[in-house]
Amino acid sequence: MRRLHALLSSDRAVGLLFIAPFVVTAIVFMVYPVVEAIRMAFYSYNPLRPDLSAFVGIANFEFLFSDPLFWDSLWQATVWTLLSILFQTILGVGIAMLLHRALFGMAFFRGLLLFPYIVPTVVIALIWRWIFNPEIGVVNYSLLASGIIREPVYWLSTPTMAMASTIMLNVWKYTPFVVICVLARLQTVPLELYDAAKVDGAGFIRRFIDVTLPQLREVLIVVIVFRTIWTFNKFEEIYLLTKGGPGTSTFNLAVYSFEQSMASLRLGVGAATGVVMMIMLLIGSIVYLRITKFGEEVR
Amino acid sequence: MEVRLERINKRFGAVQILKDIDLVFPSRKFVTLLGPSGCGKTTLLRMIAGLEDITAGKIWFGERVVNELAPRDRNIAMVFQSYALYPQMTVRRNLGYGLRVRGTPVSEIDTAVERVARILEIDHLLERKPAQLSGGQRQRVALGRAMVRKPDIFLMDEPLSNLDAKLRVTMRGELRRFHLDLNATTIYVTHDQLEAMTMSDLIAVMHHGVVQQYGTPAEIYSKPANLFVAGFIGSPPMNFLEGEISNRRFLVGDGSLPLPALQVEANAQKAVLGVRPQDLSRAPAAGQDTITGTISLVELLGSEKLVEVQLQNRKRMSIQLRADAFVEMGALFHLRFDPQRLHLFDKESGNIIPASN
Repeated sequence: MRRLHALLSSDRAVGLLFIAPFVVTAIVFMVYPVVEAIRMAFYSYNPLRPDLSAFVGIANFEFLFSDPLFWDSLWQATVWTLLSILFQTILGVGIAMLLHRALFGMAFFRGLLLFPYIVPTVVIALIWRWIFNPEIGVVNYSLLASGIIREPVYWLSTPTMAMASTIMLNVWKYTPFVVICVLARLQTVPLELYDAAKVDGAGFIRRFIDVTLPQLREVLIVVIVFRTIWTFNKFEEIYLLTKGGPGTSTFNLAVYSFEQSMASLRLGVGAATGVVMMIMLLIGSIVYLRITKFGEEVR
Repeated sequence: MEVRLERINKRFGAVQILKDIDLVFPSRKFVTLLGPSGCGKTTLLRMIAGLEDITAGKIWFGERVVNELAPRDRNIAMVFQSYALYPQMTVRRNLGYGLRVRGTPVSEIDTAVERVARILEIDHLLERKPAQLSGGQRQRVALGRAMVRKPDIFLMDEPLSNLDAKLRVTMRGELRRFHLDLNATTIYVTHDQLEAMTMSDLIAVMHHGVVQQYGTPAEIYSKPANLFVAGFIGSPPMNFLEGEISNRRFLVGDGSLPLPALQVEANAQKAVLGVRPQDLSRAPAAGQDTITGTISLVELLGSEKLVEVQLQNRKRMSIQLRADAFVEMGALFHLRFDPQRLHLFDKESGNIIPASN
């Protein structure tokens, strides 16, 4: 009894008590699913016949690596991720630099910018399906009316255009995230650095390269890592906009995994896909952080 | 190169920052813009650099009006308060940046950088980044970056204010030496009157966007043009007494003091009398030229003692005595005023009432 009292009154106990809710939540909702997914990747598991569940070794991975659709999905996921991140970063930095200027009405624009980021993806995907609709969509209407195109463009029903459309949606929705991160950093860049560069003779482009970019380096590294992980794993935007189609032309690994698990009821293969994605992102992130020497730069 | 300011005005919206500034910075002189924060001195310096628009007026560099010239075309160099070194570049690249931007050949840049690094004794730091340097070293790099290009005009915006007190004293001497070696016009901004007094050939004292007085340190110290300058320059600060001029005497409370002959004789004029703590002395007994009070505070400054005397009208005066002077709290003290060392100011305008000598 005395021991318990001593334990509870110690700082250690208080500390443990404070972190307990998080630890429990993390174990239940993060650690357990990951462990379970890894375990499942080595099992054959059909939810309709749980009694037939059996350990199959690396059979799920063999299936995966011999499935051409897996490789197609990996390639498409890479294209979709790289292009999305590229455009988001360029646009994000550009817009942030515009918004950074103290012009009239910028506060309003900054508020407006958050809009795509806060609207649920389902709503956005549905709206974009209307926008991209070849017959009645506003995109084709505007392009036709302004004479830029003569024939309606089939945005979501040709492979290339469907991929472009999903990238556009992703860029539209997540550029604000980049803008906000970059803007926050821009506002802390000492103005004297720009003055010094001006006196030294640097023009606008030199100042961007020698003052702005180095200051943005760290935030861009973080933003790119996070955006890459999130985009590579993205499921709902593609699925809601194109369902992976036409055909399988916009499948990424998340859609592939979903289709394997839910449509083909190969939960083991779905889980194995998840494990492969996790390993790739892990390796990719580590290599990227090493190359960019993140955190080594002394200010 | 001579720099001349002609009726310079600066407005931010409705706020007037600078009013009709007329100043000439003679070629190769070290001129300080001195004033409290918010007086517009940094804004003025930035206008000379071309970093700030000019609302009205003209800035001349020699025979040329530079109002519309970009900073890069003015052949100036500037040292900033925060040093503003490029954090991702080594000291070598920081020093050479201005030359590199201008497309100077690499071999020339190397020679120039190494020459300046040797002068400033930072040649062993060339491969380091700014974050790996101490405050004093950064200060030198910032100075070096300004020196590398051999500018016509040096602009310095409170370059010593981020250094500790001891280093500041050392750097004061060094900056002065560099100025003499470099043969360029230096315009230096500070709020520290000691820096201004020790380093400058000329000082422009600024307040509320107006130049209050422009002259040599000695002139500004011994002949302050108005109450603001008198109170701002000198440490410990000048004592002020409000009173009235009457029959060549200054009436204050129940005492009166002899005055020097004034250029314009005044009678029954409300005035403020200023006297520096160093110019007061102790009288053994009350007399024609003394005022009596009681000692209310004694501070030992090391080589001197600063004694505060409270007069009958509760006004406090400080007087500087030798450190070994015997003073006792609460004791009577007779302050002697030397008529030749008084400053009289008009109470209304705050301007000096000049003595006739």
